[in-house]
Amino acid sequence: MMNFIRISARNLLRNKMRTVLTILGASVAIIAFVMLRTVLSAWSTAADYAAKDRIATRHKVSFVITMPKNYVDQIRAVPGVKSSTYAIWFGGKNPKKPEQFFATMAFDAPSMLDVFDELLLPLDQKQAFLADKQGAIVGDVLARQLGLKVGDRFTLQGSIYPGDWPLNITGIYSANRKSVDRSSLFFHYSYVNDSLPPDRQDQVGWVASRIDDPGRGPAISTAIDQIFDSKDVQTTTMSERAMNLSFMGMISSLLKALDIISIIILFIMMMILGNTIAMGVRERTREYGVLRAIGFPPSSIAWFVVGEAAVTGFVSGAVGLLLSIPIVELGLGRWLEENMGAWFPYFRIDVQTYVMGMGLAVVLALAASVIPARNAFRLQVTDALRRLA
Amino acid sequence: MVPISYNLRNLKVRKTTSAAAAFGLALVVFVFASVLMLANGVKKTMGRSARSDVALVLRKGATAEIESVIEDSSINMVINDTALPQPASGPRGVSESVVVILLDKVGADGMSNAQVRGIKPEAFTFRPSVKIVEGRMVQAGSDEAVIGRAIAGRFKGLSLGESFELKKNRMIKVVGIFADDGSSTESEVWADFDTVRTSFKREGYTSSVRVRVAPAQFETYKASIESNRQLNLQVFKEADYFEKQSEGTSMFISAMGIMIAVFFSIGAMLGAMITMHAAVANRQREIGTLRALGFSKGSIMLSFLLESIILSLIGGSIGAIASLGMSMVSFSMVNFASWSEIVFRFEADAGVIVGSMIFATVMGLVGGFLPAIRAARINPIEAMRA
Repeated sequence: MMNFIRISARNLLRNKMRTVLTILGASVAIIAFVMLRTVLSAWSTAADYAAKDRIATRHKVSFVITMPKNYVDQIRAVPGVKSSTYAIWFGGKNPKKPEQFFATMAFDAPSMLDVFDELLLPLDQKQAFLADKQGAIVGDVLARQLGLKVGDRFTLQGSIYPGDWPLNITGIYSANRKSVDRSSLFFHYSYVNDSLPPDRQDQVGWVASRIDDPGRGPAISTAIDQIFDSKDVQTTTMSERAMNLSFMGMISSLLKALDIISIIILFIMMMILGNTIAMGVRERTREYGVLRAIGFPPSSIAWFVVGEAAVTGFVSGAVGLLLSIPIVELGLGRWLEENMGAWFPYFRIDVQTYVMGMGLAVVLALAASVIPARNAFRLQVTDALRRLA
Repeated sequence: MVPISYNLRNLKVRKTTSAAAAFGLALVVFVFASVLMLANGVKKTMGRSARSDVALVLRKGATAEIESVIEDSSINMVINDTALPQPASGPRGVSESVVVILLDKVGADGMSNAQVRGIKPEAFTFRPSVKIVEGRMVQAGSDEAVIGRAIAGRFKGLSLGESFELKKNRMIKVVGIFADDGSSTESEVWADFDTVRTSFKREGYTSSVRVRVAPAQFETYKASIESNRQLNLQVFKEADYFEKQSEGTSMFISAMGIMIAVFFSIGAMLGAMITMHAAVANRQREIGTLRALGFSKGSIMLSFLLESIILSLIGGSIGAIASLGMSMVSFSMVNFASWSEIVFRFEADAGVIVGSMIFATVMGLVGGFLPAIRAARINPIEAMRA
């Protein structure tokens, strides 16, 4: 068996140009595959790495409708809830670059830093943020994009809450959890609330709460929703993970399309590999005839073909994966994290993707060799010797 | 020049290899054309929603109808601006309340946003293209809704005869399905104006006002409304508004498509190159003979380039034709501008087909270039001796 593989590998060196092209083609397919799978897994990262001890409460029917602020106090009183914070989606833009999207949220600042403890902020910046009503903290990725540093003034243009909102950048946060979007801007709820006309005041978009026991999440969620069931505005409470997952429904067809495309790319790879193997078999028909004539059984001939395919597949997989690390992780991944952090907070290749890429490269190469191997197996000695390459 | 029939026959002789290479190219072109069709579909679907003689009035700074808030007291001034003549028929303007609601999707996990438009009866006379195709119209003041043809059956509760919850204990019954020439309006739910406003505590406010304004008068009207600082409103041409709405999503799809196409095409080009290299290597003798017969280096190179292009055009046509089958498929996703679900179709047009064929030709040209050079460089004497 070892011998077969060695001979097969030798055979590959006979037509170096073709082997190189084949491996290049197949490894490009592997790179594309790795990239697509990483897009898919990056999207679900937010759900996978969501805090397990956090639940979120929102309006039952629509995220554009707000809830009365006094709901927060009632949620805090529910047994099992450690602390709660509340926020509104501000929907602000940078007036100088209105087409750029980044999340802007107005939070109840003191409780927010407590509930979202994965936001890393130096102590002095934290204190400065809490002390300044017009203070704001931005993620390090966004800060770089906007060219902001601590102490800068930044004006946010509101759409849901119209007007210009001058802010002081009091802090720049980073994160110790992969799901955190480091391109958001947070500022004080009270700043927005106090500027609103009385009939729009004291409304919150959602409430996030820490609970003491992740296992009791569903029970606590039900308890919260029950409080408001008979009220004017009903709520839906679910774990952070469930909420993140439910939003995946919005792009589910896109995810399905990428899934299909990543399968098509594998077919293209199989075509390239199969084509090369078939060519090799056709060219070596005479040799195979000679081998058969001196006593090798048909199965040996077939094994040569299969072995050659396996080696090609393995090398293609290895080259593809090696190349995909700089391309996906350093090039594209960095770019996506910097520019589209809201969608891809963490764009890295999964271990599963590596294993899958390598496995598929070999398996598909073997699959592509089935027909050529069968043809080689069925070769008649006399035909093979007679035939010209 | 070497006759093309020589290349055609050669492709036929090596049919397995030719077929494998063409099939790989076909897959690439199929994906490329499908992405173009989808981006095209997004633009067309939104574009069909726009009428040239309609101005859309939103709160200043708002980029989508759901973000906009207009006080009832302003509406009269917006619709009955003194600069506007009375239209020949139908209402001059309509004010509508637009919200989104989260509903469970059918056939996929998770939830998504459906756009709900609170309408008055004149919404139908204002938009003559909207027609009820099944069931009946909404009765004014009732808890009933009509839904667009595209969105029907995609969410739980959004099917004829079923109900969905707009608010606790306020079930809205779907009594009809409407069509609007395949526009994005077909992805909306239309319910009674007051029902939507009271359920969402929006009494006294609407989201947007649409006014019939002849294109020639648009600038005057826009200036008249926007110069009124008290109103604090912004006027868009409906076409510009919808183009902006589709911009983000169609750009996103195109960008992703281009990235995928680049990688795929490298793979396919290498596939074509392998095939052509083999063709050249196996035909050394033939090439030598052709050269000895007097065909120039250039004509040999041209012949092999043509062969490669023919191969890629065969693959490209198969891929492009197969992608036309995608026209049957509709694709539903959130439009980034409005955060609500819109159903698109894969839409082909001449541009998509021509674009895919050009793409295929370029792949054939690039893939065949090196092998063609190699063929042209073959020394006739040595080749014939081999």
